[in-house]
Amino acid sequence: MNAIAFLLGLLVLSYLGSILVGGRTIRGFGLASGAEYLVLGFVLGPQVLSVVGHSLVEAFQPVVVVGVSWLGLVLGVSYLRVAERRVPVPHIALGIALSALVSGCVSATVFFGATYFSPLPRIEVIAFAATAGIVCSETTRHSVRWIVERYGAKGPLADLAADTARASALFPALALAVVCAWLPGAALPTFSVIERVLVSIGLGMVLGGTAALLLGREFRRDESWGILLGTSLLGTGAATRLNLSPISTTFAMGLTLALVSRHSVDIKAMVTPTEKPVLLPVLLLAGAYVNVKLPMPLLVLVATAVVVKILARVFCGALLSVTTKSVRGVGLEFGGSMLSCGALGLAIALSFALRHPGVVADTVLLVASVGVLLGEWLGPASLRRALARTGEIKPEASAEDSQPTLPSEA
Amino acid sequence: MSGHGGTKKTTGTRAIQAAALLVTFGVLYGVTRLTPELETHLGTVTAVGFLLLAGTLMSELLETIGLPHLSGYLLAGIIGGPHILHLVDHHTVTELSPVNTLALSLIALAGGAELRIDTLRSVARGLAWATLVQSTFVLVCVAGVFLAVSRFIPFTQGLELKSLIGVSLLWGVLAVSRSPSACMGILAQTRAKGPVATFSLAFIMLSDVVVVILLATMLMLARPLITGSGGISLEDFSVLGHELLGSIAVGVTLGLGLAVYLRLVGHQLLLVLLAIGFGLSDTFAYIHVDSLLAFLAAGFVVTNLSDQGPKLLHSIEQTGSVVFVVFFATAGAHLDLPLLRKLWPVAVALCASRALFTVFASRISGRLAEDPPVLLRWGWSSLVSQAGLALGLSVVIAKAFPTFGEGFRALAIAAVALNEMIGPILFKFALDRAGETDHGAPEIRPSLPPAAATK
Repeated sequence: MNAIAFLLGLLVLSYLGSILVGGRTIRGFGLASGAEYLVLGFVLGPQVLSVVGHSLVEAFQPVVVVGVSWLGLVLGVSYLRVAERRVPVPHIALGIALSALVSGCVSATVFFGATYFSPLPRIEVIAFAATAGIVCSETTRHSVRWIVERYGAKGPLADLAADTARASALFPALALAVVCAWLPGAALPTFSVIERVLVSIGLGMVLGGTAALLLGREFRRDESWGILLGTSLLGTGAATRLNLSPISTTFAMGLTLALVSRHSVDIKAMVTPTEKPVLLPVLLLAGAYVNVKLPMPLLVLVATAVVVKILARVFCGALLSVTTKSVRGVGLEFGGSMLSCGALGLAIALSFALRHPGVVADTVLLVASVGVLLGEWLGPASLRRALARTGEIKPEASAEDSQPTLPSEA
Repeated sequence: MSGHGGTKKTTGTRAIQAAALLVTFGVLYGVTRLTPELETHLGTVTAVGFLLLAGTLMSELLETIGLPHLSGYLLAGIIGGPHILHLVDHHTVTELSPVNTLALSLIALAGGAELRIDTLRSVARGLAWATLVQSTFVLVCVAGVFLAVSRFIPFTQGLELKSLIGVSLLWGVLAVSRSPSACMGILAQTRAKGPVATFSLAFIMLSDVVVVILLATMLMLARPLITGSGGISLEDFSVLGHELLGSIAVGVTLGLGLAVYLRLVGHQLLLVLLAIGFGLSDTFAYIHVDSLLAFLAAGFVVTNLSDQGPKLLHSIEQTGSVVFVVFFATAGAHLDLPLLRKLWPVAVALCASRALFTVFASRISGRLAEDPPVLLRWGWSSLVSQAGLALGLSVVIAKAFPTFGEGFRALAIAAVALNEMIGPILFKFALDRAGETDHGAPEIRPSLPPAAATK
């Protein structure tokens, strides 16, 4: 396929994505994670139809990096708020802890599995284990929004689900910075790993602070685009050139903006509608990158990672049902609901694949892709059951007759 | 295009902008110095971010001394470009050509959409005289100057007088080309309204078509003079005629389509403009359609055959606020400073004579057309700028005459560099002096709001 035709195809996808952003439309069409576009990319990609060949996928690598980095910025900017409500600090801590716990479980299992059952060298095993854990640690906030808007959910469990999903983004974003700083080939050879991590995050914070200062006292939406785009592209490019993690840099930039800018709500309102238009082409390209022709031991490890992720999520749910009032009696369902993943996990897997191409990266991308599909299947249904059982939605409510209670983020 | 600073900005705001500019340069400088050996394919991404941010901030800072934003974008590109700090290298500048394609298509669309039939009628007489006088008087006079200084031009050494006349005529064509992008850039920033703004826009857009025809004519006339063989062939005109008519036909169709879309759907125009800018420009090139003319016609149709013109212009303005900064900053990075340093005496002589004859021609045509005094005085001001169109012409000439083509092109690059830097400043100065930029602060937008730290 011609590059221009492919670019136009991606723009059409963005167009679709921008239509899907509308609060009313989202209740009617599409899956929460956008998994259908991932599958479409896989089908069109080199593995199946080869409509989108290897060279084309390579040519669009900068688009992927910019796309995933922009998603990092959007996640950072919207990290502290669900619609206009601030996420309580305990919920942030809980989201981070759950995310780290799941990541730890998956990483440990993959590490031992890969050490004993795969021919990978030790350094690759560590990279594989760490990244597999990271991509499994996210819960997509779109899943919660999807259910809330479709069924008009309202109550402490819906809030907790929304808050922990949002808070789960911090751990993977930071952990990826560590992995990229640790991987061989990182620039700044005289720097230690910690110093490289600090450079990744510090770069984002400096650019975020600069953007916050420039966006100034009065907020003018049109004029702010140049500043946000300029700083995020500069951060993305600089982090990539240093072989660090651009997602972590832009996430730090977004988070800094959310923390220090007096217009954080406006900025969030401005960038959130861009998420779907960016996400869908990225998902399509991610699908095209997926390689299923892996050695059997690695395929087994993919399956193992996904199973451990499910078990860890269920365990987290069970733990919460004991410790948290709003989850009482629906622990398993709540744990299942946290299986939904999407943008960040895939973005991290893609980013890793571009930073450290090879069989390990392909395996991590497959773990993330399977996680998205499985999460799509189990997550929203589990959340819906949990909310129905706690009375936060009526079991018979349909998408048409219910009203969303969270203001649309778009 | 970012607007002109209408809101009063304090010293604190400017200090913050200066500090942010230093951070921008510092980040990229640090990264390129820390990893000098690494050149990733993402250099383009970094460059876009840098040029966008640095261009915006530089334009804000230069605004304090009355310079147009466009000069700020250019200066940011020059400083960050391959010849000074080397933050953006040659390869990256070349890779940014899709941004230029997009920007040019938006500029042409906006240019067409700004041209209203009733406005054109009001300046038709002046436009006709100006086109005639500028295209003949300036062409002949600048060709004469070129002939006079040819002994100082390296690539003309050894050429016979007949050949020299041919080369001079080609240089004359180059001299009558203008810069639609610079004109649109300044008008978008200042939101100028008045006879000078209207005339400039209409003349420059029209001159784009005229120059294409003139180039074909001069190539036809110069070829026998320079090569000393072959006669005059009218085949070039036939091809040109097809191209021009085809471009207008395609542009009208696109314009009607756009008008229908704007009326029936009317949203996600950013993506539609991106698709048009990237996708259609390539398609037009493939089917030998002049994309500038086609987009110009499309914008013209939207404005004059539907009521969707303002909507289209607003969307282009929103998209352009980012794209145009990168476009002009890239143009700055593209300026060949070493070449300019080498050829500056000749380039200065040619540019100065061009400017002088342009002023004379403007006065003559103004008197013949009985233009209003303000136009008589400042009508020339927008005609000094040159940019991509002139460089494009020089490439065509260089390809047509390989024996001296490279030297011709190098001199053209040096001359265009000078006009590119000086022209926008003159135009903005003229608009200010003509009082066409003074129509109230609310209409004028800053590219950046005042900084938070300043009360």
